[in-house]
Amino acid sequence: MAKQLAFYFDSTACTDCKACVIACKDRSSLPVGVNWRRVYQYVGGSWMPSQYESRTMVPINVFSYSLSIACMHCEKPLCAEICPAKAITKDEQGIVAIDTSKCIGCRYCEWACPYDAPQFHEELGVMTKCDFCKDLLAQGGNPACVDACVMRCLHYGELEELRAKYGSNVEIAPLPRADITLPAFVLTPHKSAQATGEGTGWLDNLPEEL
Amino acid sequence: MNLREWSLVFFTILGQMSVGSFLVLGVAHFFASRKKGVEAADRLSDLALLAIGPVLILGLVASIFHLGNPTNAYRAVANFGQSWLSREILFGVIFAAVGGLYAIMQWRKLGSTAIRVVIGWIAAIVGIALVYSMSKIYMLETQPVWNTLMTPVSFFTTTLLLGGLAVGAAFVANYAYVQRKDPGCADAQCELMRDSIRWIAIGSIVLLGIELLTLPIYLGYLAADGGVGAASIGLMIGKFSWVFIFRLILAFIGAGVFGLFLYQTALSPGREKVMGNLTYAAFVFVLIAEIMGRYLFYATHMQITI
Repeated sequence: MAKQLAFYFDSTACTDCKACVIACKDRSSLPVGVNWRRVYQYVGGSWMPSQYESRTMVPINVFSYSLSIACMHCEKPLCAEICPAKAITKDEQGIVAIDTSKCIGCRYCEWACPYDAPQFHEELGVMTKCDFCKDLLAQGGNPACVDACVMRCLHYGELEELRAKYGSNVEIAPLPRADITLPAFVLTPHKSAQATGEGTGWLDNLPEEL
Repeated sequence: MNLREWSLVFFTILGQMSVGSFLVLGVAHFFASRKKGVEAADRLSDLALLAIGPVLILGLVASIFHLGNPTNAYRAVANFGQSWLSREILFGVIFAAVGGLYAIMQWRKLGSTAIRVVIGWIAAIVGIALVYSMSKIYMLETQPVWNTLMTPVSFFTTTLLLGGLAVGAAFVANYAYVQRKDPGCADAQCELMRDSIRWIAIGSIVLLGIELLTLPIYLGYLAADGGVGAASIGLMIGKFSWVFIFRLILAFIGAGVFGLFLYQTALSPGREKVMGNLTYAAFVFVLIAEIMGRYLFYATHMQITI
């Protein structure tokens, strides 16, 4: 059994198809407005008139890359620390999950989480979040998002093993700095990846997607 | 802003006003009893003390409206060991219970004076812990605009400013009541009221000074932070500029201008009518200013997020 489960995402292979988002939404019957997994499309650069040919534009540093992000199942989960109702806990596999029967719906965790992981379910009046599909894991299966990934660029495993293989840098724009909650996440950055805090791009998603 | 955030505005403002009133009343009662004896001091402050309870309970009820699942509300204190939100609720309930017990004992003169003084001190300390917990809730590492010393400083300033002026207004109302019911002791009560209001006026001017001095320091800090800090200032002077400006104007008139007139009228006997109306006006102006300030507090916060 893993000590700390983690998602691994290969940003070089993602095509931004969002099958992971839909698989998650379908599997957990999430309402409109709640997306435990989102694909952030980070784009930048611009176009300028060509010096050599009239009426022609040339690209300067145009780039686009995507990050598929759900709960980071942080090693230091601020949401669990500050939850007044002790509704959010981290289990022996490192999975951070919320027991909605204990949640008071104060939405304090929403203010604490830098990854938008806990989301408010209007109808139920409680916070909900990714639980790593731990019931599927218990049956020997994979999280729904991982199985749905068309490009096979979303995986999961033991954090230490994934880090040994792919490195530990997850401070890639638009992700926030990692020292606040120590996210259990491993990433292969895209060739255009920009460092957190130094990004020159912006999110190109529809507001409904995030 | 939605119902949820308005409920937090009213909960924090009413909670802090209750604590502030309790503290200011304690100080006023102490000095009044040294000057005119315990009985006169009781007559000055007992009715005001009874008024604090309903204000606090109104605040606690308002806080329930920000819960999505109020049937679980009792669980809010479960994480007392780690979460400042749990501590806030616990201190809020204890303050209501001990403060209420004190008010009833003081009103009915139950128990010895020594016991009452001890209970009063416990309530005061729990009240201070309540306001401190309230400020710590917002000091999350992912909330850089809130995660500064400014949060506790402004919460305690609000506590004392609103508490002081609420007590002043209560003393004015109490004096009108004493004049009708018990004209024999109106002279002594009048003197105590004028003394208290003079000091409340001084306190209000000092607290306004603290608010006006810390604000530019805080804005400078936010601006220097660049990113989210600058974005927060952008909201204050952009979308919410009218709240920002009116709040400062109201606080300046209520605590500063009225405070100065209050100080003057409190020095000259015979002008109680003017002083009373000024006290009410100052309280209402500052109350609205502080509600606007708290609204801004929630409306302009910035989160470190994706």
